[in-house]
Amino acid sequence: MVTVSKYFENVWKSMYSTCVGMRITWRYLLQKPITVQYPDERMPIPNRYRGIHYLEQEKCINCLACARACPIDCIEMDAVRHGKELEWISFTLDYQKCMFCELCVYPCPKDCIHMGTEFAFVSEDRSEFVHDLLSYKGMSRDARTRMIEADKKKAEKAAAKAAKAAEKAAEDAKGGDAN
Amino acid sequence: MSLSTLALPLSLLTDPALKLAESETPEVAEAAAEMGELTSGTNLINELLMLAPIPDFVPGWAIPLTAIMIGVAIVMGVVSLNAMAGTWLERKVSGHIQCRYGPMRAGWHGFLQPLADGIKLMLKEDMIPIGSDRVLFVMAPALVLASVLGALAVMPLSPDFFFADAPMGLFLILALTSTTTIGVIMAGWASNSKWSVYGAMREAAQVVAYEVPLGISLLVPLIVAGTFSLTEVSEMQSGMFGIGGWLIFKNPFMFPALILFFIAVLAESKRAPFDLPESESELVSGFLTEYSGIRWSFFFMEEYAAMFLYCVVTAFFFLGGFNSPLTWLFEDGGLLPNVILWNVAAFFTIVVKGYIGLFVMMWVRWTLPRLRIDQVMTMGYKYLTPISLVCVLGAGIWEWGKAALLG
Repeated sequence: MVTVSKYFENVWKSMYSTCVGMRITWRYLLQKPITVQYPDERMPIPNRYRGIHYLEQEKCINCLACARACPIDCIEMDAVRHGKELEWISFTLDYQKCMFCELCVYPCPKDCIHMGTEFAFVSEDRSEFVHDLLSYKGMSRDARTRMIEADKKKAEKAAAKAAKAAEKAAEDAKGGDAN
Repeated sequence: MSLSTLALPLSLLTDPALKLAESETPEVAEAAAEMGELTSGTNLINELLMLAPIPDFVPGWAIPLTAIMIGVAIVMGVVSLNAMAGTWLERKVSGHIQCRYGPMRAGWHGFLQPLADGIKLMLKEDMIPIGSDRVLFVMAPALVLASVLGALAVMPLSPDFFFADAPMGLFLILALTSTTTIGVIMAGWASNSKWSVYGAMREAAQVVAYEVPLGISLLVPLIVAGTFSLTEVSEMQSGMFGIGGWLIFKNPFMFPALILFFIAVLAESKRAPFDLPESESELVSGFLTEYSGIRWSFFFMEEYAAMFLYCVVTAFFFLGGFNSPLTWLFEDGGLLPNVILWNVAAFFTIVVKGYIGLFVMMWVRWTLPRLRIDQVMTMGYKYLTPISLVCVLGAGIWEWGKAALLG
């Protein structure tokens, strides 16, 4: 008798548990999918996400603090100094090496290198992973005008100085004559 | 039931009129006359071709042959389109049950994904492993697909449009679909891989176990309806709103029989939770392990076609066949009697019913985990077979009692 009741219990249990399971899957079927359709829509990225770097080139003073802080030496920069102004040649970051540790960001005295929220970086060639952060090469127009103005001022100063010296010399000569 | 009556339906597939004249014994002649009456509307394509202007040089046998070819082309088209729709539905349903979308990129909600998959499968290298039995390996997918194509020929697409209205249609379907097992065993053996042999052996064991409850549970609607013919059984079920006459409401043992039949169908068509022959995770896809490209897709087409066919059989013998509120509207004596609309509605009804069945199969697949082989055997032999026998007994007693009481 036990085995017979067990038999019907098994039948009942299997039917019941199947119905319960199918109810659950039906609920999931009607639920909105949680997938984010990536290229069309994106997950919100937190502000402190460590993605591809970006550089505020106007502020940068080519002090090499970030390059020195980098534990794997992936930052390289090169610039020519004209007085106070910089003529940029390159500022590269090798993303084959970079491990996005953010250690380059903290030592910057001008707070000009940051990590952005962009993470997709695809290339067909390895060399393209050596990414140039510069937004312009050479000097900016402002820097150039500033430099020209500074040069002019310098020249004026020098001219004024020369004129003064010449005056003084002339005066000296006059005085000498008077004496 | 003599052998000659069993052999007749098969011959009727080609041309009923041809065979009827050849019948010799009076018994067969009688049966043939009955069948001739039933199959008078057979092959609408043939009749349409007869109406077309045909030049004199075309021999007489060309017309039925053309009709058969067109029928074969339609069935092939149905099989491949059904496989495409089935894979798409399968991926969408499985995706949504898992809170994903499924394919989304190709076409509207990935609707063209099966097309892309089909092109990929056709362009794939056709591998035949070293040490395999080449002849059997090449033959197996063809055999598997051919059996299901043959079975689909009996399926009427609408009350007036069918290729072969065999009076023993259900019998033919059961016989032909179970021959796919031979193809699967051939594939497993010819692949020269232990996984394939395991899969094939499991398939054989499973089919032997589940063919029994499948047939027995179908006896219940057969007792109630009293016919094997698919068109006849669907004619029988017309009723109030196209729902009232469904066989499932005619006998209390129909509902358990439907559930038993559905479980047996899941096992027969190798669907989860009975997908042991091709279990991906344990047997590396079983008998499909060594197949690739178009041959693999033949097995896939067979699987979906068999699923669809079984669902259609379920619809015919349990859930009203062509009858739905839509066909009720257009049928003779309905609100808007119109033969063409009625046929179109019937076609849509049967397709929708078939796909609802497919959907339930997918739903079950993503609900239940795969059973162990001994559990599968236990379920087949110890549970489904005796319960289906009880159902047949009960249905028989019910029908007998109804006849005795109501006259």
